[in-house]
Amino acid sequence: MAKVLFEWDYSSYPGAKAYPNLFQPIQIGNLIVPNRIKYAATEDNLNDHNGFITDADVAYMGSRAKGVVGGLCFMQGVYMDEKRQGQGYVGQAACWDDKYVPGLKRIADAIHGERAIAGFQLMDCGRVGAVEVDSGHAPSTVPQRLRIFKPMFEMTNQEVKEMVKQHVDSARRGIEAGFDIIEISGIVGYLISNFLSSYTNRRTDEYGGDIRGRCQAMVEIIQGVKEVCGPDIPVGIRLCSDELLDDVKGNTPDESMMTYKIAEEAGADYISCTLGWQESIYPVISRDIPQGNWLHLAKRAKENVKIPIQMAYRLFTPDKPNKAIGDGELDMWEMCRSMIADPQMPKKVLEGREDEIRHCVACNLCLARLFRDAPMTCYINPLCAHEHDERYYPQQVQESDKKEVMIVGGGPAGLECAYVAAKRGHEVHVYEKRDELGGTILEASRAPYGDEELMTCPRYQKRMCELAGVNFHLGTEVTDELIQDVLPDTVVIATGPVYSEIKAKGGDSKNVVNVLDVLSGKVTVGENVVIWGNRKPGIGAALFLAKQGKKVTIIGKEKSAGFDINPSFKWRYMIYMKQSGVTAYNDCDIEEINDGEIIVKTYDGYRLPVKCDTIVISEREANESLKSIVQEEGIEFFVIGDALVPRNLSSAVHDGYRIGLRI
Amino acid sequence: MPVNAEKEISNLWRTLHGAQSEICNTFYRWRDVAIEFAGPGVEPLDVALKASEMMGKDIGKNLLPRLNWLKGEEGFLLNLGKAIAGIWNTEGGIAFAEKGENPGEVFIKCTRCPWPSAAKQFGVPMEEVALSRERLFQTILEDVNVFFNINLKIEMLKAIPRGEGLYLFKLYKAN
Repeated sequence: MAKVLFEWDYSSYPGAKAYPNLFQPIQIGNLIVPNRIKYAATEDNLNDHNGFITDADVAYMGSRAKGVVGGLCFMQGVYMDEKRQGQGYVGQAACWDDKYVPGLKRIADAIHGERAIAGFQLMDCGRVGAVEVDSGHAPSTVPQRLRIFKPMFEMTNQEVKEMVKQHVDSARRGIEAGFDIIEISGIVGYLISNFLSSYTNRRTDEYGGDIRGRCQAMVEIIQGVKEVCGPDIPVGIRLCSDELLDDVKGNTPDESMMTYKIAEEAGADYISCTLGWQESIYPVISRDIPQGNWLHLAKRAKENVKIPIQMAYRLFTPDKPNKAIGDGELDMWEMCRSMIADPQMPKKVLEGREDEIRHCVACNLCLARLFRDAPMTCYINPLCAHEHDERYYPQQVQESDKKEVMIVGGGPAGLECAYVAAKRGHEVHVYEKRDELGGTILEASRAPYGDEELMTCPRYQKRMCELAGVNFHLGTEVTDELIQDVLPDTVVIATGPVYSEIKAKGGDSKNVVNVLDVLSGKVTVGENVVIWGNRKPGIGAALFLAKQGKKVTIIGKEKSAGFDINPSFKWRYMIYMKQSGVTAYNDCDIEEINDGEIIVKTYDGYRLPVKCDTIVISEREANESLKSIVQEEGIEFFVIGDALVPRNLSSAVHDGYRIGLRI
Repeated sequence: MPVNAEKEISNLWRTLHGAQSEICNTFYRWRDVAIEFAGPGVEPLDVALKASEMMGKDIGKNLLPRLNWLKGEEGFLLNLGKAIAGIWNTEGGIAFAEKGENPGEVFIKCTRCPWPSAAKQFGVPMEEVALSRERLFQTILEDVNVFFNINLKIEMLKAIPRGEGLYLFKLYKAN
């Protein structure tokens, strides 16, 4: 009889009615999972550099466990070799010795404390490993395509067998720690995927050759892990349904499906369906990829195997997975980034509080940080990775400390600050000169390639403000007189930036327009447009105009265009700029504006003319307005977001949150 | 003030050519340093060839993210040939790649090369210049071959420092 770990009854919840397929039980191996929700194993770099579990990771996982409302909650993949060749992240948990079991048990207990099913993942990072040592191990010695990765050397036949044993031993330790389900990671360039791929496996022994030979290490691992797990602990595997490595002779999609069939034959109880490698030249999970874009791969997997199929990858809202499950194209909805951004996301879905979800904006900052040995951070969730730290939670202020707070500006910085301060008990008033909340995100979200998803942030913040009792004063511009009239206890200046003037000759020309007016369609531009400013706002506007068929040139002072965009996303913009014929002159200034052209001056003094009938200003500066009056009146004040230093949405949100905690 | 295109371009050109000649000069200065460090028993040709190997290995690594098998075998080979010719052009040479008459072969021609004249200034034998260039290109192929699981070779058929008027390299797929 199948095992039930925790009883859950969702029948009275609105989410279970709206998304009935998500809250139906499913049997995986011999285990009943109460719903179709899984927090998929995600590295967080929160553990210590010797692989021991920290308080930060326990709290991080506990928070996600609460979110899955009884579903599967997987801790990050553990590396399993003492030599640390399989370690791909500096804060990755280790499991090569029994001494790690007590720490791992803390994670399992934290997950069980939320009545969720605790998942344990085995992850030798193979080709993208060896982060703390000079070289790594791989099925064959294939040079690295990207210099950030260490050189790899071919494992001997004996070393492969030892690696299989390491997986089995680590699975045993995971079970001892109390985990309920074991998963093997075979994706994105990690060791098992290296064995499976024709790109990285050139072996001629029993672990290489045709697809069956290349699967042999995986088969031995599955069988060995199954043996230590016994009948009651399911064993799953994450496998690429399409490596997206056809440019380097990787597996064909048919070969990838063969790996699924062979994993099923070997005894896998489920497969988590993924795609792409870190080395792939195609985008997979960035914001420019439409939601639900990859569901056809889950469907294809379902057509090839009988065991349950799980999938994450651009499924940020419950409607699509709910439908896919109903249509028989998917069995479980996995989440990584959506639950980094909002750990309670599925819980809010269940409780009918979808408008309270802080949605991931698919910027991939979390990944960029992990790849650069930094702890997990979320672009829009300031609490992420600080779940263990009480100082990051809004603390109620005493009655005598309650203040009247005037927040000037209803953009992401102001709104974030507003609801946090209001939650703490302050009386908060948000003043916005426009009739709509959202600040510059209203315009920024009009840029192409998925930027409309940025609006999920102010929508969430507005809802949180409403729940916290924030007072809105829309259509009200804050002046010195208004501040003197109201005389609040605290003023938070979140007005956004001011846009730089072009000091060059002709800078006052009528052909010079503001980026916000362009994005909102308030002004029309000519055919040859120059964007002044080579950061993200300029790039967004350039792509917006290039889509309309304009010839766009970006000119900016930064040494490279988009230097403020994280590298895991920037490459997408660079490709779109190239495809759209957008030229960028970086490290340059506008020296002169003439009729039909401008003169660009490079950092080293060269001058060149660029055809131009409209100049769009996207270069920004800190906003100094209102500071002197609040200082004169002796009012406590804070400056946040772009008003302080023009940066990005993330900085606005993080500034707002932190100041909301401080007032 | 309107842009004086002739002035801007000539200034840029002068700077570019100055930088290009510094590539060769810097290499030969370091060659002298290496020979002096290695001591009296060292053969200068061995030093030059070792340096070519190290540079070729690094250039090969740089090429890996830029090469793409989706262009097909012929397209791949031509792209690689163009990339190699591009190295020469960056150094101040005039080089190009073109398909050969037979499938699986590409010829790289260089009609102007800055290395022999720089070598003369440093007293470097011309044969060393030719052999260094051949070794550089051969080493570029090492990582490319392993990465794409192919067997490409490159042969020097003619060399400017040998008085043959041009460099001619044959890049081809070996069996």
